[in-house]
Amino acid sequence: MVNITINGKLVQAYEGEMLLTAIRRENIDIPALCHHEAVEPYGACRLCMVEITKDEWDGWKNHVTSCLYPVEEGLIVNTHTPTVMELRKTILDLFLAGSPHSTVIRKLAAEYGVTKTSYEEVPDGTDCILCGLCTRVCDKMGFSAISAINRGHGKEIAPPLNEPPPDCVGCLSCAYICPTNYIKFTDDGKTRKIWGRKFKLLHCKKTGQPTITEEFAQYLIKNRQIPEDYFKVNDLSHRMELALKMGEITQWGREE
Amino acid sequence: MKSRLIVNPNLCTGCRTCELACSFTHSVAGKPGLSRIYPLDGGFKDLFVPVVCLQCEDPACARSCLVDAITRNPETGAMELDEEKCVRCMACVSACPFGCSLFDRVNNLVVKCDLCGGDPACAHFCPTKALEYKPIVPKALKSAG
Repeated sequence: MVNITINGKLVQAYEGEMLLTAIRRENIDIPALCHHEAVEPYGACRLCMVEITKDEWDGWKNHVTSCLYPVEEGLIVNTHTPTVMELRKTILDLFLAGSPHSTVIRKLAAEYGVTKTSYEEVPDGTDCILCGLCTRVCDKMGFSAISAINRGHGKEIAPPLNEPPPDCVGCLSCAYICPTNYIKFTDDGKTRKIWGRKFKLLHCKKTGQPTITEEFAQYLIKNRQIPEDYFKVNDLSHRMELALKMGEITQWGREE
Repeated sequence: MKSRLIVNPNLCTGCRTCELACSFTHSVAGKPGLSRIYPLDGGFKDLFVPVVCLQCEDPACARSCLVDAITRNPETGAMELDEEKCVRCMACVSACPFGCSLFDRVNNLVVKCDLCGGDPACAHFCPTKALEYKPIVPKALKSAG
């Protein structure tokens, strides 16, 4: 365990964990758009900026992204100093210039007192803030179906060659994880469409309810050694089957 | 010896108190959560079977989880799902052969039984003791004293 001070309160943190995890455990609310526990920290959005200092630093202070800064013994952290607030405000101001129509960004910016950007708005600004969460989670899950393409102003997230991605399985993790809900998909209970590719959904043999996509099931069967039979019915039918089986076993005990 | 959640369908009356206990124990921001336990019709007259996660030795849910959000708690032996890590891909919901990994549509969460961290509320509230949380003592050990 490591002893650190967060906003004047002495707390213990686990060795090797990042400052953001320790801060969030203390129920201190600091914004972060590019952070998710499932993937490695990345430091793209810079919103989790905090002020750090130590007793032996003779009053020197530093501002770091807490998601990327490992905890250290004797660290003194302040999450809401005027400088930190000013930094976050500037970052949100820039975000607002890049994605002027994003409801998530607008709401967060309003919390920090920014209702209109002081920069010039990007004319065709999308809601994507290029935090890379979608590509990182896709990599982590082992598909790597999407990635960032182009550089500078033209940078965007897209499948290879802007064609329907062959490695995508339609699990919708990227759409779920996207902090600004930029990734769009359609799902009508029969087919699912994302990144320009269509997926057929599997259906429960008994209730007819849709489960996951055929491609995702095939991936799990092949790479995670899940028996094929498991995907034939949905969770409700599985429970009914289990109840009937256990009922049968119980009945043997009654007869004896 | 580790305690197990023991289900005895012969004693279950299907009163669904366990469902209520589970829902309220796993409430999310004041809203009741989805119950992880279901007393279902066992196929015979007056027989109800409380269906709950079996905490398998080689669980399909953990094997199918591509972000390693489902891990075993070494203290209770329960497979626990880390909500912070979960990316709602529904792999575990489809892969569990007993259907005990569930999707809570109201709170947008994937949930499964975590034995309440070692003190299951369903066993506390079961009026007929169809659900009990205790260490299993094998018959051979019992007769030996």
